[in-house]
Amino acid sequence: MGDYLLLIVSAILVSNIILARYLGNCPFLGVSQKMDTAVGMGMAVIFVVTLAGMITWVVQYAILNPLGLEYLRTIAFILVIASLVQLVEMFLQKSIPGLYRALGIFLPLITTNCAVLGIAIINIQEEFDFMQTVVFSFASAVGFTLAMVLLASLRERFPTARIPSPFAGMPIAMITVGLLALAFLGFSGLVD
Amino acid sequence: MLAAGLAIGGLGLLAGVGLAVASKIFYVYVDPQIIEVEEALPGANCGGCGLPGCTAAAQAIVVGQLAPNSCVGGGVEVHQKVAEILGVKVELKEPEIAQIGCRYSVEKADIKYVYDGVTDCRAAMLLAGGSKQCPIGCIGLGSCVKACPFGALSMGNDGLPVVHEDVCTGCGTCVRTCPKGIIALTSVTNRILGEYTTDECTAPCQRTCPAGINIPEQIQQTALGNYLEAVRVIKERNPLPLVCGRICPHPCEFECRRNLTDEPVAINYLKRFVADYERESGHRLQLFKAPETGRRLAIVGGGAEGLTAACFLARLGHSPTIFEAMPKLGGLLRTVISEARLPKDVLDWDIEGILELGVEVQTEKALGKDFTLASLLKEGYEAVVLATGGWDATLLRGPEPDLEQAAPGLYLLLPVSLAWAQGIDVPVGRRVVIVGGGQMALDAARRCRQAGAEQVTIVYSRSKGELGLSDSDLTKIGHEGTEVYFDATLSQFKGVDDSLTQLVFSHLVSSTAARRRFAELAIPADTVITASGRLPEMIFVKVPALEGEETPLLWQTISPYHPPSTARPEGIFATSDPISDYRAVVEAIGAGRRAAASTHMFLTGKEVAPPLHMLTSQTEVLDVGQVQELLPVGARQKMPKRPPEEHFDPSLEIERGLTEEMAKQEALRCLNCGLICYTRGRYH
Repeated sequence: MGDYLLLIVSAILVSNIILARYLGNCPFLGVSQKMDTAVGMGMAVIFVVTLAGMITWVVQYAILNPLGLEYLRTIAFILVIASLVQLVEMFLQKSIPGLYRALGIFLPLITTNCAVLGIAIINIQEEFDFMQTVVFSFASAVGFTLAMVLLASLRERFPTARIPSPFAGMPIAMITVGLLALAFLGFSGLVD
Repeated sequence: MLAAGLAIGGLGLLAGVGLAVASKIFYVYVDPQIIEVEEALPGANCGGCGLPGCTAAAQAIVVGQLAPNSCVGGGVEVHQKVAEILGVKVELKEPEIAQIGCRYSVEKADIKYVYDGVTDCRAAMLLAGGSKQCPIGCIGLGSCVKACPFGALSMGNDGLPVVHEDVCTGCGTCVRTCPKGIIALTSVTNRILGEYTTDECTAPCQRTCPAGINIPEQIQQTALGNYLEAVRVIKERNPLPLVCGRICPHPCEFECRRNLTDEPVAINYLKRFVADYERESGHRLQLFKAPETGRRLAIVGGGAEGLTAACFLARLGHSPTIFEAMPKLGGLLRTVISEARLPKDVLDWDIEGILELGVEVQTEKALGKDFTLASLLKEGYEAVVLATGGWDATLLRGPEPDLEQAAPGLYLLLPVSLAWAQGIDVPVGRRVVIVGGGQMALDAARRCRQAGAEQVTIVYSRSKGELGLSDSDLTKIGHEGTEVYFDATLSQFKGVDDSLTQLVFSHLVSSTAARRRFAELAIPADTVITASGRLPEMIFVKVPALEGEETPLLWQTISPYHPPSTARPEGIFATSDPISDYRAVVEAIGAGRRAAASTHMFLTGKEVAPPLHMLTSQTEVLDVGQVQELLPVGARQKMPKRPPEEHFDPSLEIERGLTEEMAKQEALRCLNCGLICYTRGRYH
């Protein structure tokens, strides 16, 4: 049980998928202007990543390894992730149309979100068992959502802040992200 | 290998089946039109329409938030497909293409310092506004090239960006990127409507030309031997090049920079040469016309001004009709100018060219006799452009002197005074407004009172001091009940059917050293007597009536835009005389184009106003005081003329035009000036 706790802390804080591994920057900067879309995007990513982690683990150990096709890992994983995103898109359009509209173009972009593929590949490289895979995928996606929510809550304050005009918009967002990443550096060494 | 294929294929099949099932379970009704429109869109998610992605654009188009022709990446084919799906007719959008407004690279221009920093124009801009002396010159670091999402820009060998017109979609990314504002989206319509501003590179000749021809471009094309291209450049601004090439007083040549070293370039001879070349080739150059709008417009007066207005309105896609009192078109060009300077067949060729653009003509139809402004508006003409030009000054003559009244209730002061002097009765209404005229206006005011006018108002465009009217005069006229306004200009006429009912004018209410404040006043009036020599260009339009109500026809005027003036309020009679006069055909051409542009602005719902920073003859622009390092060229070409003994034959044209060789030599003398740049010898 303690192992799982460590894994979760490590995935959320120490090796945060965005702020320590620098994966998934596109949605991170793109959808973090408003809190509700950031939360929505985070939830979509948690859903997709957890599911993708489980399925890709099964694909790796049930299909690719026995057939000796490890070299097809990237192609096979992308196929799985792309179909999953399609599924999530349909699901959201039917069940939560408001969120579907708010996410707009970024939902299909999860397909090419390297965080999703990255987590799936890390699972295999770290030679996690199935349970660890589930926990790590979920926790990494929670880490993604955490970073999103932190940034969105900061960016929501920009309009009232006195920002020098050359820094307005993307530059100040990048500076904020840099400071966030620096803050997360403080967690390193927490878990071996 | 087989295993790999089967594995991936199987995986794909599984995912496909899964998705197919899911799509049934999670089926949501979506307007099929949205799906169809989305399929018609290119799917590049370029964001050029202003929305994130093509799905959002498709929804907005179907809901009506976005026009069917909003997709900049797709072009005309996509617009038509989208319009077909929606069942609407798409107004063909004229393609807009980026155009670079700088012709001299950093290497060839005067510079302040050598820049050796980050290769980005915006970075270079931070250092004293870039390395060039010229404040509006291209810095040449290619920020626009990097910004173009369609790869339609590249840096040319001469250090200036080049637009690949077949790839350019007119999305405007480069325009927004360029820190110097050099790139502009341009189309033929934009160029017809355009006025030169202080924000663009112009040559002295170009700024001086009353018609605003792009003279450096015209001469460069001539030098390259592209004579028809030169004609096209001229015709963007002047539809009468054969006429102008013969009788233009060419103010451009007085400002030519070659005056600083020898003699000016023979700009007008070159214009005549290329215009003659087109005529002698027998084929008329096909001019671009904007897509048809089907809107009918009437133009009163078939002289240079009316013809120009008709030509440009036709090229802007409208359907103009010219009403001319004389049996033939041409106005003063036909009746006043001698055949030895302007042969009639030459004039006819230029006029035919205008009519071929789709201009209808009704000759021997005089305003006030055969038709009235109100009758034209009732017939369905959406606007009537009054361009009667020099004929307004018709003095009373003939056995039965007839006082002309072109527009309802509008008279010129001179014929009216003459009529009074001859004892002829002038039909004066109850409320009279007299515009300008110094002491004569005071006299006229008294005559109007004697003739039965109840209220007389005098509107002077100048101040009390400038007019030199004595206080006792003014007190006296005040006692008689005549109101006088100074520093005032008319801005609008309003009327019902064939009579004038109201006049709008602005006048000075307070004046301090810092600011002059004007107020607009509307007064009822049925007669206007103006001291100007002729009537200004005016555009008459219908005032939209309330739905379902059978009312008499209400009309009002809109005045074509003027170059901005700080000294006086703007109006129809902004200076004491209208904005153009009949000093030169080229002035009438400039005024005709502005009248057409103003009408087009009104019809398309835009504000009738000049662009910001429009150049006027008073504008101070950056210039050079001397020219150096010029290429050695020959002297100014002399116009070949007929021998003096033939000069007495009025049917023979005296000037014979340059030969091709002479024209080429002359074109090489052009310095191809920009704001401060010009061609120098060391680069050749």
